[in-house]
Amino acid sequence: MRGSDTHVTDPTAGDRTTPGPSATAVRTEGLWKIYEQEPAPVEAVRDLSMEVRAGDFVAMAGPSGSGKTTLLNLLGGLTAPTRGRVWVAGRDLTELSGRELARLRLEHIGFVFQAYNLLPVLSAMENAEFTLLLRGLPTAERRERVRTLFREIGLDGLEDRRPGRLSGGQQQRVAVARAVVGEPALILADEPTANLDSATGDALLGVMERLNHERGVTFIFSTHDPRVMERAHRLVHLVDGRIESDVRPSGRGSTA
Amino acid sequence: MMARLRILARLSLRNTLRQARRSALTASAMVVGLALLTMARAIGDGAHEQWISDGVRLGLGHVTMEAPGFASTGSLDDRLDSARVAAAERAVAGLRASVPVVTSAVDLTVSGLASSPGSSLPVRVEGVEPGAEAAFSKLDERRVEGRYLEPSDRLAAYVGAGLADRLGLELGSRLVLTAQGASGGVAEQLVRVRGVFRTGIPDVDDGLVQIPIATARRWLGTPGAATSVAVLLRSSQETGRALDGLRARLGTGGGADGVTVLSWRQVSPELESAVRIDDFGFYAFMVVLFAIVALAVLNAVLMSVLNRRREFGVLEALGLTRGQTGAVVFGEGVLLAGLSGVLGVALGLATTWLLWRHGLDLSALYGQGISLSGAVIDPVIVPIFRPARVVEAAGFVVVIGILASLYPTRVATRIDVAEALKFDR
Repeated sequence: MRGSDTHVTDPTAGDRTTPGPSATAVRTEGLWKIYEQEPAPVEAVRDLSMEVRAGDFVAMAGPSGSGKTTLLNLLGGLTAPTRGRVWVAGRDLTELSGRELARLRLEHIGFVFQAYNLLPVLSAMENAEFTLLLRGLPTAERRERVRTLFREIGLDGLEDRRPGRLSGGQQQRVAVARAVVGEPALILADEPTANLDSATGDALLGVMERLNHERGVTFIFSTHDPRVMERAHRLVHLVDGRIESDVRPSGRGSTA
Repeated sequence: MMARLRILARLSLRNTLRQARRSALTASAMVVGLALLTMARAIGDGAHEQWISDGVRLGLGHVTMEAPGFASTGSLDDRLDSARVAAAERAVAGLRASVPVVTSAVDLTVSGLASSPGSSLPVRVEGVEPGAEAAFSKLDERRVEGRYLEPSDRLAAYVGAGLADRLGLELGSRLVLTAQGASGGVAEQLVRVRGVFRTGIPDVDDGLVQIPIATARRWLGTPGAATSVAVLLRSSQETGRALDGLRARLGTGGGADGVTVLSWRQVSPELESAVRIDDFGFYAFMVVLFAIVALAVLNAVLMSVLNRRREFGVLEALGLTRGQTGAVVFGEGVLLAGLSGVLGVALGLATTWLLWRHGLDLSALYGQGISLSGAVIDPVIVPIFRPARVVEAAGFVVVIGILASLYPTRVATRIDVAEALKFDR
């Protein structure tokens, strides 16, 4: 564990329907996720309470099976908690309908997956603009935003290529573009650099840092990658579904 | 909203084209199936129309007008007098303005005996108008000797080959017809054989004699009378309209005013049954085809869904609702069925057109003719194209597409997103 300025968040701030200060991007309270399986249930997340401020750049580390991916899925509303509550953008995910959850994901949350998960039948441009299209933005505006972003992250000229004709690094950059182009308040990234070489990983982290710094986008990563941990403003260490430590390395980030 | 529908449709289309080989195989099964269906339906319609046409030409037309009771008694007592015959003919003339009438014919039919110097046999004697009957009936085309009746004939007879054989008749032979006349007494009429026909149907060949109606009326003492006025239509599809039109013009609802109007279905119920049974066979074939095609679509779409669970997880993670994710899958099934359907129906129509040009010759199977309900059916079937059948085929495709897509759609909408995103990782 790195850093010296240990910071344990206050999970009790705010009531159940109003997640406290407006600067709070994500909050969980008494969160449990138990998978019922034989021979014994698996407690992937155990009584986890935490708060992430808007604009933070948080890395969640921990060994395999520590609950990182499950926690990201819970924060993104991709799976329902067994017990406890999750607030994102001021809304209690456990009280939202499927349609409301879909809308929240569309408008407030971006996802970056370890396996890129681009849609193979769409071009790089179409993948990146997918959420904008679902949100009904005019074609010209969509294309302009994606082209600008593609220029920033070195994908200029690859707009019409399908994922099968892009390298792993290029695919991950398209995935990042897809997640950030709609400027969501929160981006959840599951081991985004795991399949990338160091140069590509560094470049991508640079892009995400810049988005965080310039646009105030909140990032929460699950990662094993030391490069991500080194750049994180806040490092949450999970073990067996619980927060073992939650530190803010000195000199990183301005809010916590 | 439209932009969202467009991207969903785009995903459906591209996913359908993505597994080109699988989609092509599934589509080809549907195309061939629907082409067969379309063609079979057209041939079936053609065959039925031919059965009906041949049947009604030898019988009493698509629609016949007769006196009440004649259908059950067949007695000369139940005949149309000259006034009702004239009314029936006026009704037919009026009908021509709204319904395509090919021709009509007035008959005076009676049961009696035909006697030659050596023997006597029971026969059905039809008094016909030679000119009208030649256009109405196909009996003149079945001539094997001599000639058909002509308008100028007075004592001529056109007899079946079996009857001629059994009575030892030749062209020019004299024949005495005996029947009960209108007065109740026995009447005899001498005629000469002018032509012999052979239909291949024993009942007809052995027991039918046609003579001019004028001769029959004099013989039976029924001036101007007839037992039926038959109407031949361009298509059996017009029967209902013709029936209604004639009833309206005659002011009858089934014989209350002295003329009963009957359709070929009522006059020849066995012919109607034959058409219905054949239709039933077709619909059974359709159900089997339906099941095969539906399973092909179901298999293609379901396999596609099961192989793409993670993609559906991604779609939902990106903000699609479950319903929208399902719409993508549903669209794939409907698209596959729709495209295949259009091609299948087009192929079916093209094949039908080829068959229509040359006819489907089944003489190798049936010889020169098959007998059905007292009529000899031409072994060459000409398919009939009916727009309603295209609508029926299109409906068939839509229903298949929808039904076969329902289960895969359900599967796609019920995935666990978090699990799906782990899939195959």
